[in-house]
Amino acid sequence: MVIYLKAGGELRTKLKPDVDDYTRRVETEAGKALKDILTGIGINPAFVAFAFKDGQMKRLDYVPLDGDVITLQPPVSGG
Amino acid sequence: MLSDEEKERYSRQILIPGWDQERLKRATVLIVGLGGLGSASALYLAAAGIGRLRICDGDRVEPSDLNRQTLYSESSLGLLKVEEAGRRISALNPSVVVEKLDVFMDSQNAGELMEGCQVIVDGLDNLKSRFILNQESFRQRIPFVFGAVHGWLGYAGFFHPPETSCLACLMRPDFDRPERVPVSGVTPGTIGLFQAGEVIKWVLGLHTPLLGRLLIYDGTDLSFEIISLGKNPACPVCSKA
Repeated sequence: MVIYLKAGGELRTKLKPDVDDYTRRVETEAGKALKDILTGIGINPAFVAFAFKDGQMKRLDYVPLDGDVITLQPPVSGG
Repeated sequence: MLSDEEKERYSRQILIPGWDQERLKRATVLIVGLGGLGSASALYLAAAGIGRLRICDGDRVEPSDLNRQTLYSESSLGLLKVEEAGRRISALNPSVVVEKLDVFMDSQNAGELMEGCQVIVDGLDNLKSRFILNQESFRQRIPFVFGAVHGWLGYAGFFHPPETSCLACLMRPDFDRPERVPVSGVTPGTIGLFQAGEVIKWVLGLHTPLLGRLLIYDGTDLSFEIISLGKNPACPVCSKA
């Protein structure tokens, strides 16, 4: 199946977008958790605070569905 | 009761439907941290006429603060932030009672700092302190308006568990980064103003769109996204409420 990952902030450079400036197309097996998909494409899940899809926050144990567009957000702590 | 001077001073905002200036005058708001976020929120909360601002920061003003911490000027360098912030707030609106607390919030003093406040503004610059704030505000059931920035990226949210999720449902304290955080001055300015707006609406009893949600602002492409935050059933702070 195919999912599309987007990323905010400094995660964008780690994601290596290939569809447009923000989006990477990822082929993966169904049933795999997001954190395992990230590891498989070389992104350390520790760099990702949370993800969201269709306006809803998703944790990294979320199991994506075919065609999902998921945005990854980095931890942010400054003030 | 508002004086004639106050009625004139706040006349433009009193025109807004649902506005109750006396409620703002009776309110006590705690601002923890007087950096970029705290600077923006403190000035606008003072300008709006929040009656009592309790401001808390143990730091002194450094040159590298001046790109974003608009409470201060070059003459503030080396001085305590709470003193300089207090002066600036009083110059802007002398009717605001300013409680100045020259301390860093920690697990020992957090409870006392929050006592009597209706709502808290997170102006902190690290996640460790935010987790203390999150824990204690949950214990006292005082809502807090979260803000955090990095570069051009900013987050703002409104946590009031058990009604909503809490910060620990969203992030882990080990996300803190030891190095200096890069930040454009306009990012905490933008996020701090959203925080102030949510505080004012909360005090007024108006709709607060960020309650239980997170605003993600990315200044590189000027995008805004608001997402719903689900509670984490395994949250170490709020799941047992």
